Amino acid sequence: MSAAPTEASAPATNSRRTGFILLTLIVVFVFFWLYRNAPLAEPDLEMDAAPMSAADGFRVDAWMLPDDALLGFVEIPAGAFVMGSNPLQDPMAYENERWSASRRQGNPILPAYYIGRYEVTVAQFNVFAAQSGGSTAPREGEAAHPVTGASWPEALAYGRWLGEQMRISPATPQTIRDVLDSGWAVTLPSEAQWEKAARGTDGRIFPWGADPGAGNANFGSGELREVTEGACPQCTYGLADMAGNVWEMTSSPLQSYPFDPAANEATLEQDALFVMRGGSFADAANNVRAAVRGAVDPGVRNPGIGFRLVISPP
Amino acid sequence: MVKGEKVLALPGAAAGGLLLLSLTGRVQENPVILASTLGAAAALLLWLGWQWIGYRRGGEYPGVRILLRPQHYVQALVQSSVFLYWGYYWSPVYDHFWLLGAQLLFAYGFDTLLAWSRRREYLLGFGPFPIIFSINLFLWFRDDWFYLQFLMLAAGFMGKEYVRWTREGRNVHIFNPSAFALGLFSLALIVTGTTQLTWGQEIASTLTLAPNIYAFLFLAGLVVMYFFSITLVAGMAAISLFAMSALYFALTGVPYFIDSEIPAAVFLGLHLLVTDPSTSPRTPLGKALFGVLYGLGVFGLYTLLGAFGAPTFYDKLLCVPLLNLCVIAIDRTVKSIPYESWAMMWKRGWNPARANVAHMALWIAVFAGASFAGKTDSRHTGDSIPFWQQACAESLPGACGRLMQLQATYCSDNSAWACNEIGAHYREGRIVAADTELSLGFFSRACELKSMAACQNLLQADAVYRPPPGDLDLRLLLREGGLNLLELPLTDLYRRACEHDWQFACATVRS
Repeated sequence: MSAAPTEASAPATNSRRTGFILLTLIVVFVFFWLYRNAPLAEPDLEMDAAPMSAADGFRVDAWMLPDDALLGFVEIPAGAFVMGSNPLQDPMAYENERWSASRRQGNPILPAYYIGRYEVTVAQFNVFAAQSGGSTAPREGEAAHPVTGASWPEALAYGRWLGEQMRISPATPQTIRDVLDSGWAVTLPSEAQWEKAARGTDGRIFPWGADPGAGNANFGSGELREVTEGACPQCTYGLADMAGNVWEMTSSPLQSYPFDPAANEATLEQDALFVMRGGSFADAANNVRAAVRGAVDPGVRNPGIGFRLVISPP
Repeated sequence: MVKGEKVLALPGAAAGGLLLLSLTGRVQENPVILASTLGAAAALLLWLGWQWIGYRRGGEYPGVRILLRPQHYVQALVQSSVFLYWGYYWSPVYDHFWLLGAQLLFAYGFDTLLAWSRRREYLLGFGPFPIIFSINLFLWFRDDWFYLQFLMLAAGFMGKEYVRWTREGRNVHIFNPSAFALGLFSLALIVTGTTQLTWGQEIASTLTLAPNIYAFLFLAGLVVMYFFSITLVAGMAAISLFAMSALYFALTGVPYFIDSEIPAAVFLGLHLLVTDPSTSPRTPLGKALFGVLYGLGVFGLYTLLGAFGAPTFYDKLLCVPLLNLCVIAIDRTVKSIPYESWAMMWKRGWNPARANVAHMALWIAVFAGASFAGKTDSRHTGDSIPFWQQACAESLPGACGRLMQLQATYCSDNSAWACNEIGAHYREGRIVAADTELSLGFFSRACELKSMAACQNLLQADAVYRPPPGDLDLRLLLREGGLNLLELPLTDLYRRACEHDWQFACATVRS
């Protein structure tokens, strides 16, 4: 018996033909199998999305936004407001809420803007995710719960996408379409915009006043609730969940007061950290005050952190 | 030779070994690996059972002869040393240990049954080792696709058995078995765009994590060269690659390969992949030509694959089967050249062993010269991003593409600075066509990696903030040969950055 066949007998030829056919089949199978599974080579972002039906009070034909005249956006008029905390009035105030070495509170002046009455919901975010071509994964959860686990860039991308949709859609109220046409953007609020919307112009400690228990806020409960459950008629602008339910991301880098957007460029070479506001269902009363300043890493996806949007002038 | 029913225990033992391996934690941790291992064992047992029935009917049992060939065990030892050294610096290699064992067991079982199905005795030795090691030095499938690894091995052995020709009166296999399997599967992965299912890219780029890897491969290669006279193939391949790289740099002002004169994985390939004596030319000039053609093939395929957007690390794998097909033509061509009268005049009368030592001496001198000139383990021009930024600004050939490629690599390594830079390129549209979606995508990634500049670029649609790399970025960008710089003191880090032409770092060092 030789180490390698030197003559091609009939059985050997048949065996070789069979083997060659088998080899060809393996190669064809591998090509076919890899081709068939090529999409799996990409990162898998698919998840079971929440059903695309709207909760009561939200419009299926308008990106699941609230069913009201301005699709859930509330106008905050131009003007000054009290920002930061005075420990003499608010004993729960943290040091980072002090305006400057010489002043306890500041009085920034903001132009008019619109802010969402509710935190962005799972259903709203999933409309965006469904149209993102797989780049953003849909989020699981109750449709009317605030969306959580979205990173800061994802929140911003959602706002950018919603702005583009609203700019061209007949479902968009004329008022909003006009401001978008004039260069306003749907984005995250600055922390000044957020604080003014939360406490009004009279420096309230909580959105509804000074008594922690007087509002309809979800804190210390240990669980999320639907955004519509946070209605707050006694709040200055009637916004829901400006205290509790989820922390809300802002567009402002974390830096010491006084609040000055022009100082943002000084942070360019630092590690990014953004202010978040409002506290969450897991916090105690001291952390859901309107002036509390938390911070979030832009890459973090946390079940206690969500966001709401503003329509803001450039 | 051992013959009779008892030899059937050999493939049975291989299958049993696979079943035992399936009890290890490494195999059990992934259901696909577990199923693949059990499936491979089941396939061997089924095939064995089928053959056993045939042998019982025919009354004649197959044979096994022990044959320990130095070209198998020496090669296997050299390859093992590469695994050990490389794995010491890149842990997935050691994590792969049990899976390598599973492949070896499968290879022994498969090779035995294949030989018997061809009514041949099985030559038991270390033959499967260099085939399995060669394949795994260049490509292995990720855990969720591990069954394809077994298919790749099967294809290699079947290619050796069934794809044959008559060469110099002997029926021999055409292709280097490992190169055949690697070539076929590389082609399939390229065509289907599924390279991510393998560790190929990481394998190609992590050899340099081991310090002085070129010197290590050179020394390991000398062992193979000494015993098996492959000096002309490996040496000429390396020399031609060094020469072409140098010529390209002289003509264009930029390196051909990004971070080396010869990528470490190619250097490995030209020592341990292309040098199978039975599938390369027999004559000295033919071997030299074979080596030169390998160098040319790698050089050309690197650009060709890049032009098609395919991963360039396949360059060293794809050209080996093509060269194997040219072996007869190469031998025929060189035999028609009366080169003995001129090219070989200086060693006329030398026996092959003595000639090989002379070739080795020449190769040692070439490698020493290249090392002395800083072309092997030393810092390479292309390692410096500022070099590519400057070259791109001066519009040197291909420099902007290389800069993008380099930054994309660092971005995928989680350098926020690199991701922000790519986002900026796509927003500015100067060195690459403007693309809003891509720029936002890269800014988002950079922002999630804590680049405040990128976050601000996301907030402001008309802004392009491009600060210099941060400390963590520098620790990624300056790894060079793959050093771990995470613990490097800041002053040393900035000094190193200055040496890589980062001017802001030089200013910091001076202050």
